[in-house]
Amino acid sequence: MPVPLRIVIVGGGTAGWMTAAAFASVYGPELRNIRLIESSEIGIVGVGEATLPHIRFFNRRIGIDERELMAKTQATFKLGIEFRDWARVGDSYIHPFGAYGSRIAGVPFHQYWLRQRAAGDTSSIEDYSLPIVASRMNRFALPSDDPSAVMSTFGYAFQFDASLYAAYLRGFAEQRGVQRTDGKIVDVKLRPEDGWVESVQLADGSVVTGDLFIDCSGFRGLIIEQAMKTGYDDWTRWLPCDRAAAVPCESHGELTPYTRATAREAGWQWRIPLQHRMGNGYVYSSNFISDDEAASKLLTRLDGKALADPRFLRFTAGRRRKTWSRNCVAIGLSGGFLEPLESTSIYLIQIAITTLVDYLTDRAVSGGKFDERVVDAYNRWIEMEYDRVRDFLILHYHATERDDSPLWNYCRSMSIPDSLMHKLELFRERGHVITYKDGLFLEPSWLAVYLGQRVTPRGFDGRTNAIDATKVASELERVRTQVMTAAARMPHHETFIRQYCPATRIEMPGVMA
Amino acid sequence: MSEAIRKIIVAGSGPVVWIAAAGLSRAMRNRAVDVSVVETEPHGALAGYWTLPSQRGMHGLLGVNESHFIHHTGSTFKLASEHRGWQGEGSGYLHAHGEIGTDVEGTPYYKYLLSEALAGRPAAPENFSVAGAAARLARFARPMGEGLTASFTYGFHIEDLAYTQYLRALAQKLGVRVFPAALGEVELAENGNIRALRLVDGTLAEADLFVDCSGAAARLIRHVSSNERDDWSAWLPCDRIISAIAPAMRDPAPVTQTVASQAGWLWRAPLADRSMAGLVYSSAFQDDDAARATLTAFEPGLRSAPLVTQFSSGRRRESWVRNCVALGAAAVELEPLAGAGLHLALLGLATLVELFPLNRASSIEGREFNRVMGANGDALRDFTIAHYRAGRAPTGDFWTATRAAPPPATLAHKLDLFAASGRINLLDHETFEEIDWAWLLIGGGCVPAAIELHTRERLGKLKSQDVSTLRARVQQVAASMPPHAEFVRRQAPPVART
Repeated sequence: MPVPLRIVIVGGGTAGWMTAAAFASVYGPELRNIRLIESSEIGIVGVGEATLPHIRFFNRRIGIDERELMAKTQATFKLGIEFRDWARVGDSYIHPFGAYGSRIAGVPFHQYWLRQRAAGDTSSIEDYSLPIVASRMNRFALPSDDPSAVMSTFGYAFQFDASLYAAYLRGFAEQRGVQRTDGKIVDVKLRPEDGWVESVQLADGSVVTGDLFIDCSGFRGLIIEQAMKTGYDDWTRWLPCDRAAAVPCESHGELTPYTRATAREAGWQWRIPLQHRMGNGYVYSSNFISDDEAASKLLTRLDGKALADPRFLRFTAGRRRKTWSRNCVAIGLSGGFLEPLESTSIYLIQIAITTLVDYLTDRAVSGGKFDERVVDAYNRWIEMEYDRVRDFLILHYHATERDDSPLWNYCRSMSIPDSLMHKLELFRERGHVITYKDGLFLEPSWLAVYLGQRVTPRGFDGRTNAIDATKVASELERVRTQVMTAAARMPHHETFIRQYCPATRIEMPGVMA
Repeated sequence: MSEAIRKIIVAGSGPVVWIAAAGLSRAMRNRAVDVSVVETEPHGALAGYWTLPSQRGMHGLLGVNESHFIHHTGSTFKLASEHRGWQGEGSGYLHAHGEIGTDVEGTPYYKYLLSEALAGRPAAPENFSVAGAAARLARFARPMGEGLTASFTYGFHIEDLAYTQYLRALAQKLGVRVFPAALGEVELAENGNIRALRLVDGTLAEADLFVDCSGAAARLIRHVSSNERDDWSAWLPCDRIISAIAPAMRDPAPVTQTVASQAGWLWRAPLADRSMAGLVYSSAFQDDDAARATLTAFEPGLRSAPLVTQFSSGRRRESWVRNCVALGAAAVELEPLAGAGLHLALLGLATLVELFPLNRASSIEGREFNRVMGANGDALRDFTIAHYRAGRAPTGDFWTATRAAPPPATLAHKLDLFAASGRINLLDHETFEEIDWAWLLIGGGCVPAAIELHTRERLGKLKSQDVSTLRARVQQVAASMPPHAEFVRRQAPPVART
């Protein structure tokens, strides 16, 4: 019989409980023994959290009932992100979870749109995206499984209360045998001979040993950095925001099926609609605005009455040099931080967990050994994921015409990674979108942000000329009508939620009203 | 200001020049772009090729009827390669163009074979693969329906001269103009671009874009490029190919055979009424006369004089420079082990069409082309090298030399991860898929040190009865196919199409 792998998870926020839930669900009890250590003294920042459609794969893989999850976390549906004032003040575009039309004769749909535009067509690219049109109308319905239906051309994600999410996952994980220890870690013991983590010591004197330690302790990286000194790549030169002020407020008006990110003088403001209230925050650069000023600006720019005092967060954009080092894997903020502009925080947690779950071998169980070759491959993968998100985020800041504040002047003129420069130039010349096999953000995402940020192609793919102009025009017309008709048939987002997943009004410990 | 490309000249010889000309002419048909061909002297000579399934896609785009093609070129089908002796005397394995088994709860079936091998019970993948089983039985049918009968694909074995003539006629039918005289000199413009080609009869052939398909001689691009190359000979020391036409094989399998030899590898492949054979070798370990003797010993009844072609493993750093794009051996020289030479040329052609510049002065397309094609070339290099590094090596100085240098980092990552966990990760722009790597690595006798934990759990749900049922069904489907030779004979010329 194999000896179960002893997994110790340090920290009980979103990252910690997602990790616990996943390991408990994917590996049978004979394979693992999971303990999560968290301190009830250390609070969780209870702001709204927006996700990406990938979370649904995670839910499905570990067996979470989506409807129940939504009801218990005050969740709403999300079809995309609205970006306001990014390229110019007054602009608005949506980055949708779905495609713009579909390829014609193997050529991307938007190339035909570019061709028609060059010939005088005035339609917006948004008219060809069902999730965008539905978002603008505040409507929502579940997508269809029939790939030929226009209702299959989008995906969705959730906006939920992150502290309720962690609480929900805690219940899920504990039911599956995860043991929770309430305690504060005061010391990390490394084995002198090889620097592997031997144990962690709690304030009450107890010592917890393990084979694999997952560091979910947040920015400080209790094991990965404080004990192991793994090092951090700082990306502040491209992503200068280093603070956030967060505050919930009352909701007013219709419930939007999307998150909003509004560019501000020294950063940007998020707006995440939940069933019972609105999550808000101002992500800013301390070089360009003070904490007090940021907080007061935030408070004057809320939909409704603030429900708490603003809380502050500090961070440094970047990535841990190795997120898996020896027998410690850093997941969540301990592994890296990218501002939540594209709602990637939970995605990056998820990808770290599923990659780890996929890569661990059966030898790790019996011998408690981790093959360096597997560790290296894991680190390369996670690096690739972070780097690709990084380039995508930089695009939002760099491709702007704004010159109304020092932050935007900096971002507009900063030098960007060569990989991003090349992508931008290729889009500008001919609307060509570089895609890749793995990692986040597919063609429609890049397209949405290029066009939304006013990166306007000079030309279009000549292959579109193989199809007669009148045929192209009528095909575009057909897609527009189809999208509009389908969106108009959807119920209002609020109505849909009320009948599908109304929040259960159970007060959870430690959660503010 | 912006000036569109109006004239393309494709220069070169062999199948690549005609595929490129026909493909470009087809792609440009509504775009007022003229495509013509300037022929060059053939560089070296190869009896023929084995191809990947992508050749079928290209035939489809050019309107080639497959039966017509098979009938008129005397080609045959290819379900697999069989590699003998690559892990020493008596070793051998198949790499088929098909699935191995069917997924177990989302886990690829080959992982089951890995876990069996780890438990000391190695099994040949072809027992679980229709393509592999049919290859062993010398049978062939096209995939159809769904499930096991659709679990494979196929390539071709094609004779060089027959294919070149066939494609030449096709290109001309598609409206490609051929200059009556061959290439003489390349003339440059003041800005360093190619301005025109001076033909041997004195004609000046001008164009906006030139496609160099002249093989390793790279007769166009070498005039506009710094000619920097990545040299792959440390991993792939072979630098000569000798090949010839041979007598027909009795009841030929739809299989390309390769056999490890003293200083390289021998190969044999069936054609409709003949066969072809060759030797790929390193001149550092065997001279041309000895190579000729080795080939003759392998295939005593050669019907044509074996011709030697030199090559140098590696690729141009940039295969699109200024207004010249290199396809085929002018861009990448790689031994034909994986049968991907024509495939890479097709990819280059498709990428050129996708990135066809909107104006002559733009250079971003060339940079993207070089990035994408560089990655594709490197991935094929890695897959080819992997044949030399899978499992244990045959004895001999040549074989020791093939493993002397550490593998390229991308390949080392792949082999290391597999050796540790049986996991196969692919990068962007890889031609060969996870299943191809599985055929190669399992076939070569690589056994990982461990299996992924979640895979182990899922495989636990596989019953031994499921395994034997699958084996039996695979055999049954393969045995129901007609013999390959008979299938080839049935490819009668189709009725004239309208």
